Amino acid sequence: MTTQPTEPPPSKTFAVLASQYSYDQLADIYNQARVDYIVPMPMNGRRMAEYVRDYDIDLNASAVALDGENLELGVCMLGVRADRAWITRLGVIPERRGRRIGQFLTELMLENARARGARRVQLEVIRGNEPATRLFYKLGFEPMRDLMVVRRPPGAPSEQLSIAGAEIEPLDSAQIAALLHEYEQTQRPAWTEEAASLRNLGNLRGFHAVLPNAERGWLIFQRLPFQLTHFVFGGALSEPVVQALLYHLHKTHSARDTKVENLPTDHPAWRVMQRFGYLEVFERIEMHRYL
Amino acid sequence: MLMAVIVIVEDNAQSGRLAAKLLSRSGHRVVLTETGEDGLTTIFETAPDLVLIDLGLPDIDGQTVIALLRQQPALAKTRLIAFTAWPEATAHSMAKAYGCHGVILKPIDTRRFVAQVEAFLAPPEPIA
Repeated sequence: MTTQPTEPPPSKTFAVLASQYSYDQLADIYNQARVDYIVPMPMNGRRMAEYVRDYDIDLNASAVALDGENLELGVCMLGVRADRAWITRLGVIPERRGRRIGQFLTELMLENARARGARRVQLEVIRGNEPATRLFYKLGFEPMRDLMVVRRPPGAPSEQLSIAGAEIEPLDSAQIAALLHEYEQTQRPAWTEEAASLRNLGNLRGFHAVLPNAERGWLIFQRLPFQLTHFVFGGALSEPVVQALLYHLHKTHSARDTKVENLPTDHPAWRVMQRFGYLEVFERIEMHRYL
Repeated sequence: MLMAVIVIVEDNAQSGRLAAKLLSRSGHRVVLTETGEDGLTTIFETAPDLVLIDLGLPDIDGQTVIALLRQQPALAKTRLIAFTAWPEATAHSMAKAYGCHGVILKPIDTRRFVAQVEAFLAPPEPIA
């Protein structure tokens, strides 16, 4: 089954549903398209499968672009949640660029999003990726905010960062579910950090911190064998509360690496995270448009 | 320069093969791996003198692999070099934070590459 965009490019380009490809094949096309990217982030088939599952990618709305000789040119994917859609994994293979393939694929995603009842489409673009940013402006996207990818190498936190009298209580799965429900009603995270993503991810852990002055906050995160990731903070996010949460986290998981993606640059936790050795790797611009 | 055992962890086959060829020609014993998982296994088995590791890998990312290697006492003498096409400032900042001994940026300069690697085989201390 093939599908066509509203404005085909001048060549014999056409699109095939991504669902016709295996995860390994999609990862291979994506890796080829991103080989010269500002910050290459290759995937294997397993990671592609997880990505599709975790972020509600609809492979029947996602596409691989081909030329007249059935040669793969690029890929683009669409996540769909209720009346919102998310464009992601857009990439065109370097030696096959310059034929408006990126525009062709993005317009196709907009059309597919509309057909699935989406009223708003969002995406992220790495700061400094000027061709993609220009394309998204051209197609009517507007910037919403800046997001960061930040990392912290393993290591126990300094004892000086301990908050005297802070009480820590682990969260069980029912409490995590309840707090994620609260989170999705009150916060507006990036797509990858939404409650829906976290529920799909699994391996969630969390805990409450209560300070002597009764301020309380919580942190939910994904614990992987070697890495902590996907942080969600809630409750009172005063600096002492965030500090108590991070101190406990890194004291408990001192051997694990940490990666937090798509943290808004104005997130209240960021100032405190820097005290614990978090470093910004790069920024993304979150953009959206209404359909 | 004595022959060294070098493990390259690089998912880009072309880049990895080129680096391996240049180092092998200079007399080093080189093992090329393409994923973080294979890289870890190979490094634990061979305890190499030096590891060239791409920061962007398809399974476990390069920083996490470096973090794991830094925690192994048996690898205390192994030189860890970030091998990356990331922007220079970002590459250096990540390499320093994760305790690498240095950075070699891609694409490599084939005339200088072997000397760049060999310079890390007898260095003073990590930059971390």
